[in-house]
Formats: sequence, C-alpha cells, structure tokens
Amino acid sequence: MKRHSTSGLIIDRRELMAGAAALGLSFGLRPAFADEAPKKGGTLKLGMEGGSASDSLDPRTYADSIPISYGWQIWNGLVEIDANGDAVGELAENFEAKPGATTWIFNIRKGISFTSGKKLDAEDVIYSLNLHRGETKSGAKDLLSNIADIKKLDTHQIEFTLKSGDAGFPTVFADYHILIVPNGFTDFSKPDGTGAFALESFEPGVRVITKNKGNYWKPNRGNFDSIELRYIPDVAARTQALISGQIDAGNRLDAKTVSLVMKAPTVNVVRSKGTGNRFAFVAHCDADPYTSNDIRLALKYGIDRQKIVDAVYKGFATIGNDTTVAPSMKYFAKDIPQRPYDPDKAAFYFKKAGVANAAMELQVSEGAFSGATDAAVLYQESMKKAGIDLQVKRVSGDGYWDNVWLKVPFCAVYWGGRPTCDNQLSQTFLSSANWNDTNWKRPEFDKILTAARAELDEAKRTQMYSDAQRMIVDDGGMVCFAIGDYLDGYGKKIKGTAPHPHYDMCDQRIAEKGWFA
Amino acid sequence: MGRLIATRAGLGLLTLLAVSILIFVCTQILPGDVASTVLGQQATPDALRVFRAELGLDKPAYVRYFNWLFGVLHGDFGRSLTNQRDIIEELVPRFANTMFLAAYTALIAVPLAVGLGIFSAIREGRFSDRLVNVVTLIAISVPEFFVGYLLIIFFAIDLGWFPSLATVFPGMGVGERFYVATLPAITLTLVVAAHMLRMTRNSVLSIMSTPYIEMAFLKGLSRGRVVMWHALPNAAGPIISIVALDLAYLVVGVVVVEVVFVYPGVGQYMVDAVAKRDVPVVQACGLVFAAVYVTLNTLADIAAILVNPRLRHLR
Repeated sequence: MKRHSTSGLIIDRRELMAGAAALGLSFGLRPAFADEAPKKGGTLKLGMEGGSASDSLDPRTYADSIPISYGWQIWNGLVEIDANGDAVGELAENFEAKPGATTWIFNIRKGISFTSGKKLDAEDVIYSLNLHRGETKSGAKDLLSNIADIKKLDTHQIEFTLKSGDAGFPTVFADYHILIVPNGFTDFSKPDGTGAFALESFEPGVRVITKNKGNYWKPNRGNFDSIELRYIPDVAARTQALISGQIDAGNRLDAKTVSLVMKAPTVNVVRSKGTGNRFAFVAHCDADPYTSNDIRLALKYGIDRQKIVDAVYKGFATIGNDTTVAPSMKYFAKDIPQRPYDPDKAAFYFKKAGVANAAMELQVSEGAFSGATDAAVLYQESMKKAGIDLQVKRVSGDGYWDNVWLKVPFCAVYWGGRPTCDNQLSQTFLSSANWNDTNWKRPEFDKILTAARAELDEAKRTQMYSDAQRMIVDDGGMVCFAIGDYLDGYGKKIKGTAPHPHYDMCDQRIAEKGWFA
Repeated sequence: MGRLIATRAGLGLLTLLAVSILIFVCTQILPGDVASTVLGQQATPDALRVFRAELGLDKPAYVRYFNWLFGVLHGDFGRSLTNQRDIIEELVPRFANTMFLAAYTALIAVPLAVGLGIFSAIREGRFSDRLVNVVTLIAISVPEFFVGYLLIIFFAIDLGWFPSLATVFPGMGVGERFYVATLPAITLTLVVAAHMLRMTRNSVLSIMSTPYIEMAFLKGLSRGRVVMWHALPNAAGPIISIVALDLAYLVVGVVVVEVVFVYPGVGQYMVDAVAKRDVPVVQACGLVFAAVYVTLNTLADIAAILVNPRLRHLR
C-alpha cells in the first residue's frame, strides 16, 4: 500500500511505523526532503488542542502546545533542536565551552532585527534570560538555576558562568519559555520578536493570526504568507475539520480513531514514535509500604505494559522501562533489559517484602493524563494475577496537580519529553529537584548525574548516564509503563512535516518550517 | 405595568448580587487557584509565590470580592487574571456571538415548534400528531453533542453542504455568519423544539375541554378556527414562558454545542475561566448569564400579560 505524493516523498504508513519502530527512532524515513526547495505563499490554517481562552502572550506562562506554537511564530530562542536531537544555534550563531564546561561563550547572530526594527544584541539576550531567573513566575526557572552569572563580553558575545559544569548546557535554551525579546520589553500584549511572523490578531480561545514579515533571516524558513491558528479543543471536531480540508494541520489525533483518519485521501498522518508524554505511576520511596525496594520491584514486575499500550493507546505508544528517558534519546541506556510483565516475580518480591497486608492505593485521574483510569484498572487486573491487591481510586482532575501529585504516596503522572538526558533526569530524579515526585533521594545518583554533565569524554559520559538510568530502573519509585506517540495530521498539500525528536508538529515549528506544495 | 417592571428590575439586581456572591464563594471552594492551575505541573513554590503576589491573590478573599464589586459598580469588570486582557473587550464579542446563535436558533425553533404544536393539537390523536411527538421526543432524548456529530457526518462530510467548524469571526458578512452557524442552530433547534412543541400542544388541548370552546364548536366552527382564534390566546401564557426558558437555555447552556462546532461563544470562555480559576472572568460570565435569565423571565411575564387582558388587572 504505497502512495506517492507529488513531492516524491513516499509515505507508506505501515512501513513508516514498522521502520520507525525497528530503529527506535522517530525520524527513520525521510528521503528526498533536503533536495526539495520550499515554495513561498499561502495561509496555513492550523487547528490545535492545548490552549484556552486564558492563554497569554507572556512566554513565562506558556505551558501547552498552542502558546508554544505562536511563541515560535513570533519569537526565536537562542538555540533550537535539529532533526537529530542536537542543539544548534538559532539566535546564537555558535557557542563553545571552556574546559570543564562551567564557562560558556555564546556568539549572538548579527544583523537580526525585531519587528520594531531594533537590532538584536547581547543586552536583549541577557534581559530575556533574566526574565526567567531570580524572582519570577516562569516555568523555566529551574532550567536556568545552574547559571551563576551572565556577562556581556561585547555587543554580540555573552559569557555564562555555571555553578557546576554542564556539557549539554546549550540545549536548555531550546526550551519554549526562553524566547528572546528586546531589552526592557514589558508589554507582552504587543509582542516584538525576531520570528518569521508578526502578530496580527490575538483572540485566545478562538484564534491567533500572524502575518509574514518578509525577509526572514533563516534560509528556506518562514514560507507561509500568514498563519491562522485556531483553537479546536475537541478531537472529533479537529479530525473532521482536517479531513474536510477546513484546516491544513491538526495536532494530537486520537489513537482510537487515527487508523480511520489514515484512510482519508486528503490527510497524511505523521507519527513521531516514542517522543510523546511519558506515562507513569509514581510511588513515594519514603512512604510505607513503598519504602521497601521489594515492594517497588513488585510494582514494576506486576504491570502488563504491552496490554496497556495495546488497549489504552491502541498500539500508538512504546512500552516504558521505568525511567523518563525515551529510546529515541541520545544516552538512552540500551544495555538495560526491558522489564517484562512477570506475575511470579512480582509475587516473589511482594512476599519477600514481608508486608502481606500492605494497603496500596493508586490514585488516578483523567486530569493527570487521558487514559490514566483505564491503565490503572488494567494494572489492578495484572497485579491480581500476582496475588497482589492494588486499590485504584479515581479522583477529580480538577486541582490534580495541586492536591494529588507530589502529595499522595502512589499516583499517576505524565512527564513531557526534554531535549537532553540531563534535563529529563535532573528535573525528576535529583534529590534537590522541585518535582522529585517519587521522593527518591540518592546522593550517589546526584553525584553521577552532576559528573556526567561536566564530562566531555563521550564514552565515559554515555556510561555514566547508563549507570544513572540503571539506578532508577532498579531502585526508583517510578513505574513508567508507556511513552506516547505524537500523532499529527496534515493536509496532503503541506510539505516539510518531518517528525521531530523533540515535540510534535515539527517541534511546534510547522509554521516556520512548512510550505504548500 | 410600570410598577411591575420597576419591581422586577429591582429584584433582578438583588438576584445578580446574590449570584455574584455565590459564584465567588464557589470558586473559592474549588481546589487550587489561578496561579497553580496556570503553571500546572511546572509550578514551583517560588514561582507560585511570585505569581500570587503579582495578581494580589495574597489578599484575603473578602477584600478581593469587595474590590471587584466596587469596580463593577463603576462599570469596570476588571482584567482577566490569567492573561491581563480586558474582560469586557473579550466578553462582548463572545456574548454577541452567543446571542446571534440563540437568535438564529429561535428564528427556526419557535415558529417550527409552536406551529407543529398547534398542528398536533388540531390533529390530536391522529397519525401525524403521534409522528411529530415521537420525532421530537427522539431528538430531545439524544445528547446534543451526538446530534451535532450526526449532522456533521451527513451535512459537512458526506454532502459537504455546510462547514463543520462554525467559528464566526469579526468582519464576517451576515450571510456568511448565517451559513456557518446553520448546523449548530439546527442541533439546538432539535434540542429545544420538543419542549416548546409539547407545551404548546398541551396548553391548547387543556383549553379545548373548557365550556366556551364547546360553545364555539356548537356554533359550527371548524376545529382549526376554534384552535387558532378561541383556544390559542388563552393558552399563550404557558407557551410564552416555556419559550422564554428555552431561549435562556440557548444563551447559557450551549457550551457542549460550542465545543463540537468550535463556536466562539460565552460558554467556552466561562468553562476555560473556571478551569483556570480566573475568578473575575467567571464572575462576569455568571452575571451576564444571570442577567439574561432575569430579563427573559421578566419579558415573558410582560408578554403574557399583554396577550391576555385578564392578567392586566390583578384581583
């Protein structure tokens, strides 16, 4: 079942999936893309979920797909993540570390203008980064907490001094909060950016329109004349709009119906395998009975991951191995075997723990992630086969992150993908992490992770990350059972839709990357 | 009549005040606040503290309520806590959209339902009466989102007559607005028509058993004429109140249809605000909805009095 689109790009859905699955990659099959010159023009109509009427233009409050998308239409970051998952300069022309990776020099691109006409310089960058440091409401505050000092060396050069060495430091600037605004900029309702597009109209909850400013500084990018981003929170409405051609692209297709969408002659489905949200149940390692590692191992052996992937995600997910590091990521520990579903072992460890009457209650909610309840019920069934009684309590999605997560000893959580292994692990598993949702605190782990950051020897670094992951897999409180796929839908005329290892919708940059055939 | 309207308006204002207190208390009871829901999973204690101080959420609840009330009494509904946008500027176009959809639906539903109700009453017990009843009952029994999806499948996907996205934008022509809003209007018509139809039919039929109607028949008038000229004016009161209630529902209760058809009305705006604990927005929406209810009910009473002279002089 091969279909040749006009560009010569072959998208055979089964092959794409099989191939990507075999490679464990999300970008396995992208022939002939580089040769194709993008065309200019047209209005891209995006229909997306992941936003609401309360969205703001202030990057410090971004937390979902729609703000991320318009943020990258209007602004740029210092670096972006390329198709291989590596950090490359965006507004930073290049960057390099001094030995030890505690000092970093960033060269800022010259000749870049904001919409207002102001030329970009080092002051703008420093001001923008400081929006997320110190007293701030920014969601990126933790990411930048390793920076001790930022110094301007000349008009287009900046020096960062870090508290501890970090060889992967530049990737933190690929975060969607950290957008570069002009020095002293405060009125975010009138955004002024270096992106390909300028804001035309902003109606949060309804639509956001941006217009191409012309002469975008990135070659072959910023091809559309304008972008019309519409809020379509209902997945059925979004899918219908995509099939009937009222929108050119839609995010987060429903795994339950995506096989039907693939049959529509007007739509290409792009699947980014195993790069989506990490779905997990997390137990507090300092709360009984989860203080016993035998209990935690019983929890990990007693879950039938494949069954959950098949039943809840209809196969559009990869089974997880109890860490948030996905197989598609660099430094994913390939040498750690996948933990199987083994009721006998679960029963063995449960007995070994010697807490026969342990009351274990798992709290779940659709507010944690869609499908959490179904997954928990399947988990309960698979634990029953090991003779373990797991109570499942469904709680309200309202205020879930406030009242349940981090507070209840065993509950459901999802973690988004992060650009580096270090980001991914340090935000969840470091003893000092604000979001250490398993209360798993191991000084040895902290030491390895901090050392790996500063290690410039590739082989040693790989080994260190592997050791770090092994500690979590064998000892941690996280039962990460699945890593979701991103499912985007595009009209057949839209080109430049390669899956990206970071986020869906071409790293949420389809507006500047895509073009009409 | 003037005194009646004045009393109603006064009571209405009191109702609005009560509603605003109720909404404020309810939003305080809900777990979490705007800072924790906006930051969501990425909230850290530090970020929350800064965010709360920035929004004045560190003040006690009653101080915030009276600050808000003071603003409203001066015509200032304030700004949204989440994105600092002016609430009136956000609310007015959405409210206009909601009213447009409600009016469009009423334009179809009221003549259709009242007409069919009278028709059923005239042909009481016959096959056509039963058919009309069964069809409208089915329509009201099916959840409205399901009706919406069915209409989308037939009219948007299979036939391609109407768009499935009914979003209206500022600057759209009137004709185009009517065109894109057709499917949601039909969906809502199917939801509300059964109420009105059955109420019309029953009101007319209950009048039909009174002596003066019998007299009219004895004069040799046709059933149609008796229904239209003798029964209907006396049956108008209950019909008008059910129509008013249904119209109020069309304004305040259509969030599901708004979601299915991606229609930018007040419902979705309010739901988003509740989800984010954006109290001033919830308050503003609540007040608007309450005002619509109060106004429509008052209008219904006045209209009922106007069509029926006997009600004008209270005994």
